[in-house]
Parts: sequence; structure tokens; C-alpha cells
Amino acid sequence: MFVVCDCLLQVITICFAVGTIFIPIGLFSLQVSQSVLEIVDRYDVECVPPSFRSNKLEYIKDSSIPKNCSRYLQVNKHMKAPIYIYYQLDNYYQNHRRYVKSRSDKQLLYGLKYNYTGSCSPEDANNGLPIVPCGLIAWSLFNDTYSFFHGADALKVNRKNIAWESDRNHKFGKHVYPFNFQNGSLIGGALLDPAIPLSDQEDLIVWMRTAALPSFHKLYGRIEEDLHADEILEVKILNNYNTYSFGGRKKLVLSTSSWLGGHNNFIGIAYISIGSSFIFIALVFMLLHVKNPRPYGDTTNISWTWTGISS
Amino acid sequence: MMNSMKIPSKRSTLEKKLDKLILILFSVLFCMCLLGAIGSGIFINRKYYYLRFDNSEKQFDPDNRFVVAVLTMFTLITLYSPIIPISLYVSVEMIKFIQSTQFINNDLCMYHAESNTPALARTSNLNEELGQVEYIFSDKTGTLTRNLMEFFKCSIGGEVYGTGVSEIEMGTAQRSGAKMEVQKEPNAAREKGFNFDDARLMRGAWRNEPNPDFCKEFFRCLAICHTVLPEGDDSPEKIRYQAASPDEAALVTAAKNFGFFFYKRSPTTIHVRESHVEKMGKVQDVPYEILNVLEFNSTRKRQSVVCRYPDGRLVLYCKGADTVIYERLADSENDLKRTTRDHLEQFGAAGLRTLCLAYRDLSSDSYENWNEKYIQAKSSLRDREKKLDEVAELIEKDLVLIGCTAIEDKLQEGVPACIETLSRAGIKIWVLTGDKLETAINIAYACKLINNNMKQFIISSETDAIREVEDRGDQVELARFMKDTVKDELKRCYEEAKQYLRSASGPKLALVIDGKCLMYALDPTLRVMLLNMSLNCSSVVCCRVSPLQKAQVTSLVRKGAQRITLSIGDGANDVSMIQAAHVGVGISGQEGMQAVMASDFAIAQFRFLTDLLLVHGRWSYARVCKVVTYFFYKNLMFTLTQFWFTFRTGFSGQRFYDDWFQSLYNVIFTALPVIIIGLFDKDVNASLSKKYPELYKEGIRDTFFKWRVVATWAFFAIYQSLVLYYFVIASSTSGMNSSGKMFGLWDVSTMAFTCVVVTVNLRLLMMCNTITRWHHISVGGSILAWFIFIFIYSGVVLPKEQENIYFVIYVLMSTLYFYITLLLVPVAALFCDFVYLGVQRWFFPYDYQIVQEIHRHEPDNSRVGLLEIGNNDLSPDEARSFAIMQLPGQKSKHTGFAFDSPGYESFFASQAGVYVPQKAWDVARRASMRTRPKIPSKN
Repeated sequence: MFVVCDCLLQVITICFAVGTIFIPIGLFSLQVSQSVLEIVDRYDVECVPPSFRSNKLEYIKDSSIPKNCSRYLQVNKHMKAPIYIYYQLDNYYQNHRRYVKSRSDKQLLYGLKYNYTGSCSPEDANNGLPIVPCGLIAWSLFNDTYSFFHGADALKVNRKNIAWESDRNHKFGKHVYPFNFQNGSLIGGALLDPAIPLSDQEDLIVWMRTAALPSFHKLYGRIEEDLHADEILEVKILNNYNTYSFGGRKKLVLSTSSWLGGHNNFIGIAYISIGSSFIFIALVFMLLHVKNPRPYGDTTNISWTWTGISS
Repeated sequence: MMNSMKIPSKRSTLEKKLDKLILILFSVLFCMCLLGAIGSGIFINRKYYYLRFDNSEKQFDPDNRFVVAVLTMFTLITLYSPIIPISLYVSVEMIKFIQSTQFINNDLCMYHAESNTPALARTSNLNEELGQVEYIFSDKTGTLTRNLMEFFKCSIGGEVYGTGVSEIEMGTAQRSGAKMEVQKEPNAAREKGFNFDDARLMRGAWRNEPNPDFCKEFFRCLAICHTVLPEGDDSPEKIRYQAASPDEAALVTAAKNFGFFFYKRSPTTIHVRESHVEKMGKVQDVPYEILNVLEFNSTRKRQSVVCRYPDGRLVLYCKGADTVIYERLADSENDLKRTTRDHLEQFGAAGLRTLCLAYRDLSSDSYENWNEKYIQAKSSLRDREKKLDEVAELIEKDLVLIGCTAIEDKLQEGVPACIETLSRAGIKIWVLTGDKLETAINIAYACKLINNNMKQFIISSETDAIREVEDRGDQVELARFMKDTVKDELKRCYEEAKQYLRSASGPKLALVIDGKCLMYALDPTLRVMLLNMSLNCSSVVCCRVSPLQKAQVTSLVRKGAQRITLSIGDGANDVSMIQAAHVGVGISGQEGMQAVMASDFAIAQFRFLTDLLLVHGRWSYARVCKVVTYFFYKNLMFTLTQFWFTFRTGFSGQRFYDDWFQSLYNVIFTALPVIIIGLFDKDVNASLSKKYPELYKEGIRDTFFKWRVVATWAFFAIYQSLVLYYFVIASSTSGMNSSGKMFGLWDVSTMAFTCVVVTVNLRLLMMCNTITRWHHISVGGSILAWFIFIFIYSGVVLPKEQENIYFVIYVLMSTLYFYITLLLVPVAALFCDFVYLGVQRWFFPYDYQIVQEIHRHEPDNSRVGLLEIGNNDLSPDEARSFAIMQLPGQKSKHTGFAFDSPGYESFFASQAGVYVPQKAWDVARRASMRTRPKIPSKN
């Protein structure tokens, strides 16, 4: 049997079929995505005191300067719980080769029982003692914190269950405790409570699922009550994390969610445009066929002269 | 075998082009790596404190950017190495091996039942080369012909006898649409050398013909005028004739069948057992005294015998080429001459080899007179041959024409049809033969390579001028003279040819050149002109060429014209030619094994070339092209997604895909379907391939592996890689499910890889011409294999430092996003391909696609032709006479002089005690003939 796209009808039918499937999916996911509300606030510049604006690096490196910072967020529309709190980093290369490989999954699971941590260099050992968790990823753990206030009342932020369950259960040991962590001369980021096992250090778990692109979201926590329209939310930020040396940006993102995830128009638009392209092509083909039909097996198109075969 | 050259290893043109493509890919790889390396050198900076660039590792030492760039370069080379499709070579080898062992070797269409010989692919390198052949160089004897002469027709006293239809007539008839029923009468007398069927002459029936006396003389001439030696029992069934040429044996055999059985020869007599001479049914043994034998040679072109009947009658019987006989006929019976000439032309046009028979009654006085001169000449010491010739002239005159014979130089079955099909396919066929000019032209006519409509250019060394110089015996002068002559001739022919070519409706051109002239024409100074000249001719015949010249001509076209050549031959003298061509084909089961041993493919019959080239070659070419371009595409596309990712990782050379994905991509996830396509893809079936030989031209033009095709694939590979990469990552910036959790690098990459595997496999389905269940199984199986692999791979804990993929697929599959993307991305990526294929099919269809459409409702093999091929309304007879009528007047029409064959002269010479140096290839051929293996016939 020949698979000839020989019936133009077949091509047109396929085009229409794809179009009619894709456009509704696109419209639907676009609508879902639009229903997701998002508040984005970039705070890395605003949180630097005006006197340090010209030299942000000095500000972030000087531990004596308090890093407190307050931001006020306007809620434009009613946001239904749960509202997810993300921090977004830009120009931050979590996918750099040196960074990605600088971890030891075995150590995260088995702790000090696992000795070989060569891939973690240079954060594999300090003062002759191994570091748990080792490696650059853990060392550079994000350490800004956020607390939310509704007038004088603090909003409860749930920081549990922010990492994938598989990570918590299978990749980070339940009996592995931080050891010798951030004890070196250079401190890259957050400290870890040595009393809590790694499987419960969800900030670390989230951080260690390295992002694919240099601009990424990481889940911080959830606000489990609705935010009403026109409310003003005060966010108290401890602006500890250094993105100033490499010109990275920090943003705070509050977002509701849908069954498709967060705010993402791309999928919807892509579906719609692909679907309508197919419909368009179908129409063009149909028009061409009506205007200038080519019969099947039209020998005028053949490259040899059809009648002059006798020679 | 000791003398045979080392068989050169051959690689197909397509593979050589593939090498170039690989080189291009290497340079693309280099550029990509260089770009990445420069990027990494620029990117590296201490400001990314979390990356801890320091001196501990050279590759990340911000103080030495050059070293960083160099080391990153090496990292990137390993990263992008999949752009080089290494597995392509393995897959193509495998495909070609199966094609040759399973398809070509097992094709029943190429199985010769009589000799129990199937086709044999002796190499699997050149399958696709068979689909691109433009020039075929063919040997004559044993290849085009069976080297079997059969008495086929005759004309006696102005009456044609013999009802057979020669192969070429059959071909003409088929072309003009008439149905030719070949009925073989069971009672037709047939034996080796005799294929004649006309009851009017058999079993004494000739006595009742209007001209019984002519018949009697005709038969006697056949029975007496020859140099055949009988061997074995003197019964008609058991006797074997030893003859210098198969023509002679055929004539004597014919006489035997007509009732004039030559059974014994003594030095002075020939004994003939004559039946029905005096009255029906009477058999008598008649001894004829042979007085003189005037031998055949190439200048005389005739042979005479003077014999004395028992009753004392003296007769000279003569047979020879029509030109020489007609010159010497007595000046009477002009009607007979004219009708016989018509018959000669008719036979010649039918591709038969003709001889004229004549006799002369001698008075004993004049004979005695002449015989003295003859004995004198014979005993002379100087210039004996010349003198003998002169003496012969004296008696060979005033001859009475009896008639003429027509011997079929039995072509192999289906040769004219095969040649016609091949020439419709755009293949030009050159005949390179060791035979003489006349024989070669004869066969060329018989094979329809030359016809009377063609303008023939004959460059021959057999001219008077050359002979004159030859006689002077100065080799240096001869060479100089020959060179000048050849040069002038060639120049003249070329000028003339150009004139014909300029006019649109000019005749087709044919070039006939003999070995001696060829020797000078192959001189570096003339070579270009020879090449230009011969490329413009639709057929070229080279005769009297040595094996070396065969090879030279082959490589002239191969190297000079850069066209793909195929040589076909059967004997040891064809070995060099077979080795010189791109593809060498040996005819197996005929002569010895040398040709087969040197060949790349061995077939039993010339006509199997149609199947070998038009079916297997064409398919193989199309399939291999598909495989190669597809491999190119899938690896380029895969690597480019990785390349785009590099830009977003600070040029660090971070892998987008896990090592195992990358390694198994070519081995498991995309391997099987492309092999299936390489084996089973079929644009049109075998019978349509042969019905529309023009489809083959796509191969000659290299339609499916042009650089433009490669560029198109490259374009779509780039487009698809961009779609795949950006569509997948564009949405990884927000939460992926209702719990707001984010994907990491490995989640994104696994999803991208899933999309790549699905896309690449679906793209393969789009390029299939036939979709069988094997396609479904292999494509479905490949995608399934990926999922099975990733389920296992991400489900088990591996003893690795980094468990990047651990649990990834389960995380992915728990989100709706995964499925939505998996539907979107392949469709978006293939959108352009889909549109391109649709537009191409609709507006710029390939020839095969149109043929597909013509036959789209036919399930298989049905020959309900919607198109009448050929619109020739002329009947074969009309066409022939039309062709003869159109002949240029000044030239004698082609009548097919039969009486020459290689070794003929040397046979007489050796009988006369003159040593003629034999050509090495003749010796080899005879040797190989003698040791022909007996082929046991099965069942």
C-alpha cells in the first residue's frame, strides 16, 4: 500500500483535524493561565539603602549593616489560597557545568558513611573534615527570608512540602545531618541547622534541584489564606543573598495556581498559533485546489516526455 | 588467474559524497566548538562567586582565559560529537549487506533456471551505485549474444524460406504494439546451429518448389564449400562438426538437415550423403573431389572451393559477403539479383548475419589453365598470399548467384528489449568487443543500438590508404600516418556531429571505432575530443579492442566525464574492464569464472540487468539516500538542541541530556526504524519500476542526495531543534502543577529528549513511501523503548556519583504539563516539514510520485496501463522499409555480412601451416571455454 499524501483531501483533513484539536486546547490553557494571578516585586535594588546604591557590594559584604528591608505589595484582585511564594533569580547560572556537578548524591543520602566526594571540590572538606552537604550548590544556598504582614498581623507561611516528594524520600537521607557546613573562611550562603536531617531541610532540597536556565523560580512557601483585593501586604525581607557581585536580580513572586501550574501563557499561545497555522494551510491548499487543481498522476509534471518514448 | 590484477576495492559514489558530508559536519562541529570555546573564555569571571572560579582547576581558571577556551573546546567536542553519525556507517553497511544477500541474491526475476544460476552480489558496497549508472560498457560475445550461430533463414533463387522471427523483429513488433504470438511448432527441426522452420524445404519437399535446381545447388554449396572437419560417428545424430567459426558449422548442419549430409572428409574428397536428389526417398553417397580451396581472409571476404562431381562436372562454389560476391556475378539474371538484394537487406535489418552463395561451372580447359597459375602462386616463396589472392580473382568471376543464407547470431534472450528499456532509463550502452567491425555493427543493429535512422560515424583502420602505408612496413611512419588520419577523422566527425546536435530534430548519432584507431584516439592529445564526441553519441561501438583498451575506454568515461559506469562481460578479456568501471558485472555460468571473480555482481543473463539496475539499484539508491539524509538530520537536530542550551549555561559545556540518553539515542531509540526504511521502503513496485524505466533518471541525476536536498534537511533540522529547545524551556519558568513545584534541569532535559525521540521517529514515518506493519512496530517500538528505558533508568539507584535522572520521569508524568507539551512540541516541530512535503508533492512532484498517483488504485502488479507507451502506428514491415527508404543513398545498406568471427583467420592459417600470433585473450577465452564447469541441474 502506498502512503501517498495523494489525496489532497487527506492533507486538508489532517490540517483541519490538528487545527480543531489544538485551538480549543490552546484557548483553554490560555484561559487557565490567565486566571492565575501573580504579583512580582523586584527588590534587590530597592532593598539597598540609598547611601550604598553606588556600592552595593560593600553593603552586602559588610555583615554589620542590617539587611532588613520592607516591601509593600498591592493585591489587585482577590487571590485564592493557596498562594505560592517564589523567589526568582536572574543571571544566576545554576546550570553551569562546574556548579551542576558539584554535589554528591550519595553523600546526601548516606551522609558521612560515604567518603568519596571528589566531585564536590572545592567545598568537599574543610579543616580535614568532610562537609555535609558538600559541594558548591549547597554552599551557595539562598538565604533571603521573607515574612508577610497584614497590617500588624503576621500571615502564616507554610514552608513544608515545598520540595518534590521523591527528593525528600529518596534523595536526601532521613538520618543525615549537616556537618562542618559553612565553617570555612568563605561563606557562600545560608547556614543549616545541624539538628535537622537533610530530608527535612526543604529549602536545601528545593535549591539543590538545579534549574535548567539562568533565570529561575524556586518555591519558598505557601500562604494558606485568601488575599483580598486592594489589600496591602507588607513583606519583611532579610536581604542576605549576594547577587550584586555578578549583577543578578532578585524578585519575589506571589502566585496562585491552576491545574496547569503557574502563570504561563506560552503553552496556550503556542497551541493556538500552531492550530491556526494548520487551519490556514488547509484553507490555502483548498483554495489552490479549487483555483488550480492538479489531477492525480498529471503527466505534465513528469520530467521526461511522456509520448516520445518510442525512440 | 596468476595474471589477474589485484581487484581494486571499490566504493560507491554516494559513499564518497557522504564522506564529504561528514567532512562538512566535522567543520560545522569545529565551528560550533570554537564558538562555544570563545564564549567560555569571555564568560569566565570571578564575579560569579558561587562558581568559585580559581586556579585549582585549569578549565575554570579566570586568569588564563586562553587555556579555559582550549580546554572547553575539547569538552564541547565530546559534547557535540553526536553530530557525526558514526552509527550511520554501521547501519548503512548492515542495510546494504541485507539488501545484497537477501534481495539481490534471492530475486527470482534474476534466476536463470536453465543454468540454475541465481544473481550473486559479490560485494555489498555498491548496491546504490547500481541506481546511478549512466554508461554501460558491454562485451559482445557471451554477453549480448550466446555465441551460438543458428541457420535461420535463406533466400534461394529469389524466394525467402524460413518462418522464424528474430529477436530484434520481435522487439520492433512489440514496440509498435502488435501482439507477437511466438508459437513453437513441436515438429520444427531444431538442433544446435539450426533453427529453421519451413516445410517447403524439408524432407525433400524442395523438389516441388519453383526452383529445385537452385535449391540443389544451394544445398550442395552448403555441403561442399567449407573447411569443416567431421568428428565422431557418421550418423546424422551423432556427428560433430569442428569448424573455425560457428557460422560454418551452422551452414553445414543446415545442409545436413536439408538432406545433404556431409559425413566424411579426406584430403582430396568430401563425402556427402544426398537424399531425394534423383527421386524422393532415394539416399546416395556422393564423393566430390576437392581440387582447390581458396581460403577466406579478411580482404577477400569470401571462400571458394573447386570440386569435381563423380560425373566429371567441374564446379566452383563460392560463398562470401554480398559486396564481394555481387561484384563478381555474371551479367545476367538481374531480377534475381535485385530480389536477393532485397532479401539481404531484410535479413540485415532483422539483425541476421548473411552470406551470398554462388557457383560457376568450369570447363576443364580453362580450369587446367588456371590451375597451373594457381600451383605456381602457391609454390612461390615471396608474397605468396598476395599472389594467391590475385590468382583467385581470375577464377572467381562470372559467378551465378544461388541465394543467400541468414544466420542468427543468437542474442541472449530479451537483449534488445533490455537494451531498449535501459536506454529509456537514460543509460547509454557502449559495446566493446574484440570482434571485427562488421560483426560488431551487426550485433549493434541486432540489439537496436544502431539503426538506419542514425547518423553513423565509422572510424576504421581498414582503409586503403592505411593499408598502403602498412604494406610499406615502416612502423614509425605507419604510426605517424595513423595518428594523423585518426585525428583528421575524429575532427571531421566531431564537426559534423556538432552540426547535427545544433539542429533540434537531427538524427541520433552513433560512433563506430576500431581498436587500432582507438589506440591513437586515446592519446592524451585526442582524448578530450574522443570523449566529447562519444558522449554526444547515443551509441558507441568499439571493435577489435584489446582488454586493456576496454579498460582505457571505461576509465576515460569514468574519469573524464565523471559519470557512473558499469561494465558487463563474461570472459577473461573483460576482467580489466570490469575492474576499471564503477560497477563490474560478470555473466556467470557461460565462460570461465574470471569475469565473475573480478566482478561486483554476477548475473546469468544480460537481460537481468534490467532488474539489477532498474529495480534493485534504484530502490537501493533511494533507500540509502533516505537513510543517509535521515541520519544526518536526526543527529544534527539532536546536537543543535544541545548547542542552543550551551548558550544559556555560560558556555560551560554542561550536558543538556544525560550521558546515557546521548549514547543510546543512535543505538536504541532511533536505530531500528531507519534500518526498516533502508530495507523495505519502496516508492513504486518492481513491475512499475520496469514499466517506467524513466524513473531511473532520478538516480542518474542524483535527485535524492543533491546538496540541495541535504541543505533542505539541514534547514529543517535547525528549525526543529529551535522549536524543540525553546518550546520545552519556554515554560519552565513557572510552577508545573497545582502544588506549585518547579522543574529542575534534568526534568526539562528529559522532557526535551522525550520530545526529540517522538519527533524524530514521527518524521521518519512522514518520509516513508510504504508503511508496513514493520514501520509501525519499529517506530512504536523505538518510542516505547525510550519509555521503558527511562522508567527503569530513573527507577533504580545506580552506583553513580550523581543520580540526576533518579525519579525524574515519575515527577514529569505526575504533571499534566508533560502531556500537553508532548502533544504540542512534535506537532509544532513537524509543522514545517508537513507543509513542505505537501507543497513539494502538489507543485513539484517527483516522477515516482506521479507514477504512484497513476497507479494509486492498483493493489499490486496489475498491468492495466492507463498510458499507451509508444504511439507507433507502423507495422514492423512498414517500419523497416521506412527505415531502409530513409537511408542515405550513397552508402550501401546494411546487409549483415556474417563470415567473420574472431579466430577465423587463424584457423585457416594454422591449417595452412602459417603461424599467426594469437592474442592472449583469445587463448585465455578458449582455455576458459574448455574448462567450463558442468552445472548440475537440480531436480
